[in-house]
Amino acid sequence: MAGRSQHVEPIMENQTRFDLNAAIENWRQELAAQPNLASDDRRELETHLRDSIAGFQQRGLNDEESFWLARRRVGQPEQLAEEFAKADPAQVWRERVFWMWLAVFLSSTLGSLAYSIVFGLTPVNTNSTARVAMQTTLYLLASLIPIIIVVSLAKGKWVALFSKLTQLVENRRRLAVAAFLCIALSSSIRIAAMAIFYSRNNIHNSPSMLQGLASTIHPLIIALLLIWLLPAKNRKTLKRA
Amino acid sequence: MYKTAMLAKDLVAASSKPLVLSILADGESYGYEIIQKVRELSGGHIEWSDGMLYPVLHRLERDGLIESEWKEADTGRERKYYFLSSDGRKALKTERQQWLAVHNTLSRLWKIKPVSI
Repeated sequence: MAGRSQHVEPIMENQTRFDLNAAIENWRQELAAQPNLASDDRRELETHLRDSIAGFQQRGLNDEESFWLARRRVGQPEQLAEEFAKADPAQVWRERVFWMWLAVFLSSTLGSLAYSIVFGLTPVNTNSTARVAMQTTLYLLASLIPIIIVVSLAKGKWVALFSKLTQLVENRRRLAVAAFLCIALSSSIRIAAMAIFYSRNNIHNSPSMLQGLASTIHPLIIALLLIWLLPAKNRKTLKRA
Repeated sequence: MYKTAMLAKDLVAASSKPLVLSILADGESYGYEIIQKVRELSGGHIEWSDGMLYPVLHRLERDGLIESEWKEADTGRERKYYFLSSDGRKALKTERQQWLAVHNTLSRLWKIKPVSI
């Protein structure tokens, strides 16, 4: 009985009722721990597992038996990851590069936003030491935002919220709209901050549209790269079969 | 069940391409359904492990022989559907000729009636 040892453990764990959704969720997390599996692959394997479970259930097996049989059929996550990586070694890297660029995009727009706010908020009439102190404090406050985001993500907090946000990157159009809104917002705040700064200092050099446009070049390039990296299809294209 | 009659590993790997292409030539399908169909049609002689099919599908997709799309079935269940591209149709034709050539050679040796290619 080779399969016996595998079956005893879950029964011991769940002496009450077997929770199929929890079991699938556990399996999904095991799969997510494999660095070689792209999210699209994981999603595909999950739909397969669910189909397989449904198939066993139709043959009269209970939730628990169906789950363990389907799980065994699908195979060990490590082996799956190996096989998938062999079929398309570049795919997982495409995804990693996409997330890296997304981080670069967010930090560059957030950074420019923080800079604009510091620029606009700092009073002009204070002496230089107070000014530097104030600017430093504002910068520190601004850099707290990414720190809070990174730490809470690493600790597994707000996972539901961030999962919702990933819907923004599920297809090209949504990503494009979100990215261009981000850029428009951050550059208009930048122009506004410059206008405030100039008027306070009585400099008659109103910020030109050109300056505003120039500051959008860098984030625009990154946004275009991101859109290009996101596959045009294979993402959520919900059509009736 | 059919331990002695199961296909050797090399043969499983080699036959996966024509099998997938032929199934998709009948219409779009998804991983689980493809495996079920192969199991059914082969009378249990070809038993694909679930995890091995997807790398095969992904390789065929990368080679441009098949295409894929996420769709939601009427049951609300989402699946990644695969369908044949025009290159895939051509590849299937070649595969068919090659496999039938092997089949006919063996048939003549074994004194079974060959089929027309």
